[in-house]
Amino acid sequence: MFFHIVLERNMQLHPRHFGRDLRPKLVSKLMKDVEGTCSGRHGFIVAITGVENVGNGLIRDGTGFVTFPVKYQCVVFRPFKGEILEAVVTMVNKMGFFAEAGPVQIFVSNHLIPDDMEFQSGDMPNYTTSDGSVKIQKESEVRLKIIGTRVDATEIFCIGTIKDDFLGVISDPTS
Amino acid sequence: MGDKGGKGYSVPKPRKSSLKTPLSNNGSAKSKHGVNVQFEADLNFSPRNGGKGESPMTNGKGGKGDKVANGGKKPEKKTPPPVQLRVEKDLPENVTCLTDCEAAEILEGIQEQMVVLSEDPTIKIPIFFDKGLQLAKRGSDSYTSPQAVREILQRLKNHGVADSEACMIANIHPESADEVFSLVPSLKGKKNKLRGPVESALGELAKLRRSA
Repeated sequence: MFFHIVLERNMQLHPRHFGRDLRPKLVSKLMKDVEGTCSGRHGFIVAITGVENVGNGLIRDGTGFVTFPVKYQCVVFRPFKGEILEAVVTMVNKMGFFAEAGPVQIFVSNHLIPDDMEFQSGDMPNYTTSDGSVKIQKESEVRLKIIGTRVDATEIFCIGTIKDDFLGVISDPTS
Repeated sequence: MGDKGGKGYSVPKPRKSSLKTPLSNNGSAKSKHGVNVQFEADLNFSPRNGGKGESPMTNGKGGKGDKVANGGKKPEKKTPPPVQLRVEKDLPENVTCLTDCEAAEILEGIQEQMVVLSEDPTIKIPIFFDKGLQLAKRGSDSYTSPQAVREILQRLKNHGVADSEACMIANIHPESADEVFSLVPSLKGKKNKLRGPVESALGELAKLRRSA
């Protein structure tokens, strides 16, 4: 889910940037440092929408760098356990399938795929029902539920399920 | 059932079948879990009752048995509550949940600025910005007005639906109140009270939806 959130960060700026352009320099450094990063608490920082406040700088002993506390608003994306997402399947194998919802990767194990869907290998590996009416393959859109998350420095990885009511294939690329 | 599948194009059939099966599968899955639980419980109970099973074991193992007993209890607790959305507890207070359409609106605004900024070679548009925008746009494509969606959700929130739950309802485009209660289990407790407001909200959201 997307959130709008106010965050704070201490930005260190080299004295060569001091002058009329100090604030724009701070903002561009903030964008470079923060956008596209990931934290366990806030999730993925997709974009900075505004800078609320730049506090008074503090000169660091011995270096000349100045630390500015910057309060900024941003759009973050964080998946939650129990959240329902619509995701696009990126890879299918006998262990299950991987899907992508925005910046997040989700793995759905074959244990969490309905039992009547069987893995079919071949050029286009897929999970298909015995009557062939439902097929999950690359590029299929599925509605899934997140049941577990793992966050590291650069990505959020989730475990999902489609073995529940109202979950499953939304659209099939072949149809 | 028509409601459940009616959303997609090829959806109805697939969903029906993929929904039906999970229902039955769930039953079996649950019963499987149940069986496991019972086995564990049986293993615990039988030694307690008979004592024979446990007697050759050391005390330490007996301790393990106790742990298993706890383990046996846990699944009993686990079975009733499915994985629930607890966004509000996990996030700080100064957070606003955004529907996909609202996020798309904000990100599209930023994208225009990004074009200007991208002339500065030191600033690169992160790949995840595009991916986020792509995801948000999928949601926004389905509604004509994010503001109207927000108003409808606000009415739902007045009935005690959490911000995150309301946003998720808008994002997943459910077609019936049953679908909502099934996908957002935290609302099940207030099912009777919420059925009316949820149904009217779904009706209004459906009106705002762009025909595909």
